[in-house]
Amino acid sequence: MPRGAPAAATRTPLPIGLIIPAVCLLALALGYPLIRQVVLSAQEFGLAQQFGQPPAWVGLQNYKDLVTDPYLWKVVARTVGFCFVNAGLTLGLGMGIAQLMTRMSPWARLASQVGLMLAWATPVVAAMTVWQFMFDTDYGLVNWVLVQLGGDFAHHSWLIDPLSFFAVATLIVVWMSVPFVVFTLYAALTQVPEDVVEAAEIDGAGAWARFAHVVLPTIRPVLLVVLLLQIIWDLRVFTQIYTLQKAGGITRDTNLLGTYIYSLGIKGGDFGTAAAAAMFMLVLTVVLTAPYIRMMIKQEED
Amino acid sequence: MARRTPTAVRYGANFAGLLIVLVAVFPVYWMVTRSFLPRNRIRGTEQVWFPWDGTLDNYRRMLTGESFRNALTTSLAVTLLTVIVALLFAFLAAVAVSRFRFRGRRTFIMTLLLIQMIPAEGLFISQYKMLEGMQLLNSVIGLSLVYVASVLPFTVWTLRGFVDGLPRELEEAAMVDGCSRTRAFFTITLPLLAPGFVATGLFAFIQAWNEFTLALVVMTDPAKETLPVWLIGFSESRSRGVDWGAIMAASTLITIPVIIFFVIVQRRMVAGLTAGAVKG
Amino acid sequence: MRIKKTLALAAVTALLGVTSACGSDDNGGSGADGGPDEADLVVWLNGTDTPQEARDWLKETFEEAHPGSTLTIEEQEWDGLVERMTTALSSEDQTPDVVEVGNTQAPTFTTAGAFSDLTGDLEDLGGDDLLPGFVEAATVDGKTYAVPYYAGSTYVFYRKDLLDKAGLEVPTTMDEFVDAAITLKQQSGKDDFSGYWLPGQDWRDGAAFLWDAGGDFAVEDGDTWTASLSTPESQEGLAVVQKLFTEASGAPADANESDPVTPFCANQIGMMSRPGWVYGMLTDKESGCPELAKQIGVFALPGSDGEPAPVLLGGSDIAVPAKSPNQDLAREAVALMLSDDYQGILAEAGLTPAKESLASLLGDDEFAQATIAAASNAKLTPAAANWATVEGTRVLEDLFSQIAQGGDIADLAADADARIDEELN
Repeated sequence: MPRGAPAAATRTPLPIGLIIPAVCLLALALGYPLIRQVVLSAQEFGLAQQFGQPPAWVGLQNYKDLVTDPYLWKVVARTVGFCFVNAGLTLGLGMGIAQLMTRMSPWARLASQVGLMLAWATPVVAAMTVWQFMFDTDYGLVNWVLVQLGGDFAHHSWLIDPLSFFAVATLIVVWMSVPFVVFTLYAALTQVPEDVVEAAEIDGAGAWARFAHVVLPTIRPVLLVVLLLQIIWDLRVFTQIYTLQKAGGITRDTNLLGTYIYSLGIKGGDFGTAAAAAMFMLVLTVVLTAPYIRMMIKQEED
Repeated sequence: MARRTPTAVRYGANFAGLLIVLVAVFPVYWMVTRSFLPRNRIRGTEQVWFPWDGTLDNYRRMLTGESFRNALTTSLAVTLLTVIVALLFAFLAAVAVSRFRFRGRRTFIMTLLLIQMIPAEGLFISQYKMLEGMQLLNSVIGLSLVYVASVLPFTVWTLRGFVDGLPRELEEAAMVDGCSRTRAFFTITLPLLAPGFVATGLFAFIQAWNEFTLALVVMTDPAKETLPVWLIGFSESRSRGVDWGAIMAASTLITIPVIIFFVIVQRRMVAGLTAGAVKG
Repeated sequence: MRIKKTLALAAVTALLGVTSACGSDDNGGSGADGGPDEADLVVWLNGTDTPQEARDWLKETFEEAHPGSTLTIEEQEWDGLVERMTTALSSEDQTPDVVEVGNTQAPTFTTAGAFSDLTGDLEDLGGDDLLPGFVEAATVDGKTYAVPYYAGSTYVFYRKDLLDKAGLEVPTTMDEFVDAAITLKQQSGKDDFSGYWLPGQDWRDGAAFLWDAGGDFAVEDGDTWTASLSTPESQEGLAVVQKLFTEASGAPADANESDPVTPFCANQIGMMSRPGWVYGMLTDKESGCPELAKQIGVFALPGSDGEPAPVLLGGSDIAVPAKSPNQDLAREAVALMLSDDYQGILAEAGLTPAKESLASLLGDDEFAQATIAAASNAKLTPAAANWATVEGTRVLEDLFSQIAQGGDIADLAADADARIDEELN
C-alpha cells in the first residue's frame, strides 16, 4: 500500500498536536469509567455499595463464578455462531448493494440511499414494535400473507423454535445494520480511481480481477474497520434479542451473551459481576479478532 | 464510475435498487401508516394497508404542550455538538496517524481499537458519577462529551482509512505548483474526504440521536430530556398499556430530522466531490 | 431478610410499640438534622397513573401548609426507572425527595439502603391500616423503608352473554372455574378462542393456581431459600395451569400478557384475569370495543375453598430517598399522599387505596367488590434477597411457556427448581 503510507518518521510536534484533542477527550470521558470498571470487576459491588456501603474485595471470584458455569460456554458458542452469520450476511449484502449503487442512475441511487437511511434512522423501539407486529402469532402480517398464499401458517409461532427465533432475529439485525455498511463502503468506493480501473479493463482484466486488484486494495482500510465493528456489534447484540424474548420463545434456549450478562449483572443490580462480564467480553472480542489485529500491527510496522 | 456503466447493467442495477428500497422501507412504511390509526386498529385481525380513513389524533396529542419542542431542541443541540466535535477531533487525529510517523502512534491506534472493543453496557453508572463530579449533569455539554467519546474511536479509524485512500501525490503535485503543504491539504485533500465525513458524520448523528440509557440518567430535568426518552415517557403507562400509536407517531417525527440532515449533507457531498475532482 | 415472615411481623409490631412510646423524635436517628424548614421538594411519580387532580391537590396542600416551600412533581417512566434511581438516588444534589416505586421493585432498593427508615412514622401514616403485604415486603430486619401508595391486583373479566349461552353460573370455587373455562372453549368450537385467556409467559396470573393448590415458588428454610416447584402441591397447581393452557386457552403458548384488548375485541375471549384499568381500555372507542364491553362482568378468582384465591399482589410504594437533604419535609409530603383526601382521589380513579379502611371509597359496584376481594388474599413472590435475579433470568416465563406447550410437569419443575436454587443461594 504505497499510496497511503506515512512519511518517514518526523520530529515535528505537529502530529502530537493533532492527536491531543482526541486523546484528551477520550481520557476525560472514558478514563475514569474504564478504570472503575476494572476495579469493580474485582469487587462485590451491588446496589448497597452504590448507596454507600464499602465494597468488599473478592479478587477473581466474579470471574470464577462466571466461567465455571457450563451454561456460559453454551451461550458463548451460540453467540459466536450468531455473530459470524450476521456479520457475514451484513457485510456481504452491504458490499453488494454498495457496488450496485456505483452502477445505478443518479435518481435510483438517491432513492436507495434515502430508503436505507429511513431504515437506519428509525428509532429502535419503533422498529422492534413494528417487527413484532409483523411476526405476531395471531395477528401478524407475515402469517396473514402466507395464509393468503395458501400456506398453513394460521397462528404459527415464529419464536417458539430457537432456530426460527434466530432466523427472525437475524433478519431484524441485518436489516438494521446493512445501511451503515452500505453508506461507509459506498463512500470508500467513490475513492477508487477511475482511470486505474479503466486501464485494468483495457489490459483485459475481468470484473473479478478488477475488483480484487484495484477496488479492494483502495477500500481495504475502511472495509477492515467496518468488518471489525460489525463483529463487535454482533457479538454484543442485545435489544433485538431482549425484545423478541419478551414477545415469545424460550429465554434459556435463545440467550446470547448480551442478554445473559444483562440478566446476571445489571438486572440483578450486581455491578461487580457485570463488570467482570464486560472484561470477559473484551477478551472474547480480542481472541475472535486476533488475526485481524495481527494484520493491523504488521501493516503498521511496514 | 457510473458514466462507464453499460445501459443494460444500469437498468439491472436500478431495478435491484428499487427492490432494496422496497425491503428497507417496508417496516418504515408500516410504522408511518400505523401512526395514523387508533389503537384498536393497529393490532387486530384486519390488516390495514392504507390508512385512508385514519386519524391525526396520535400527532395531535403529541404536539400539544411544549414537551416535544423542548426535547427536539435538546436533541438537536446534543447531536450537532457531538457530530461537529467528533468530526473535527477525529479528522485531526486521522491526519496525524495517516500522514505522519511519530512516537506513540502505534500505541494510540491500538488503544483506539481496544476502546472500541470494551462493552459499554455497565459503564453508565461510572459515567454518571464522573459527570456529577464535573457538574455536568443536565447539561448538553456533559451528554455530548460522553457521546463524542463513544463515537470517536470509530470516526478516527474510518477517517484514517479515507485519508489513507487518498494519494499523497495529489498534495505533492500541488506543492510543486507552489502551494504550501497546509494549503494543498485544505484545497485538494479535504474536499475529496467529503464522502468519509458524510459516512462518519451520519454514524455519529444517528448514535447520538437515538441513544437512550445515558440520556435517561444524565438528563433528569424533564425540561431537558432528549427525544428517545420523551418517546418512552409519552408512550407507556400502567393504566393505558403501551400506546403504540404514540410510539409510531413519535418515531415518525423523530426520523424526519435525520432524513433532512441526510439530504443536506448529501448535496454537500456531491458538491464537494465535484469541486475536489475539478481542482485535482 | 432471613427472618421468618412471622418473626418479621412480630418485630415490626414490637418496633411500632417502642417508637410510638418514644414519640416522634426518634425518626432522625442518623442525624439530628431533619433538613431545613423551607425547601423546594421534588416528588417522582411514574407514568400517568396518578390523576392530575391528585397532583394538584398535593402541590397546593403542601405549599399551603409550608409557606416558603415548593413541591414539584416530576413524571418518570416505568421503563428505565431502575437505572435512573440507581444513579440519581446515590447523589445528594440530584436525588428527589419522595419517589414512587413498583411494589415488586421496592425490595431491590430497600435492602440496598437507598431509602430512609420510615418505621417511626408508620403509626402516623396509618399503622395496621396500611395494606399489610406491602409493608411486609418493604421491611428489612425489622425496619420499614417504604409504604404502600396504591394497590391493584388482577381479577377475572368475563363475558356475561357467553356464560349465559353456555348455561353457566359465575363460578364460586376453583373447580367450577376450571370447568367453566373448558366448557366455554368447547361451546365456541374454535381453536383460537379462549374460555380462559392465559398466554404462555403469564406466570404472574398462573401463580394463583399454584398458590391455591398449596404450592409455592420457593420456601424459606432457616437461613436459606429452597425452590419448591417440585413439591406434590406445586405440581398439582401446575397441572391445573397446564389443563387451562391446553384445554381452555387459545392464546399462543409463548406469548406475553401485554395486550388482552385485541383478542377480547376480536371476540376470542370468554374469561381473563386482568387488572381493573383494562376495563377502561375495553370501553374506550379509540382503543377498545364499547359494544362488546357492555357484556363484561367481573369477579375475584375463586379458590378451592370458595374464598378468593391468592393472586399476585400488584401496586406501587412510596419512599423517601436516604440521600435527600429534606427528610422532615419529605415525610410530611408522604403523609399527605397517604391522607384520606389524597387516597380518595386515587380511589375515584380506580386505584385501590393504600389503607384497608378506605376500600369503601372505591364504591360498591361489582368492580369495587372484585378489587377488594382479590386484594384480600393477595400474595407476594418469595421475599428472598436474590429474587430479582430469578425474575431477571426469566426462569418462570420459560417454565410456564413450556408447560403451555404440553411438556412433562415433573421434569420441567425439577429443572426450574435447580435454576432457582442456583440464583437464590
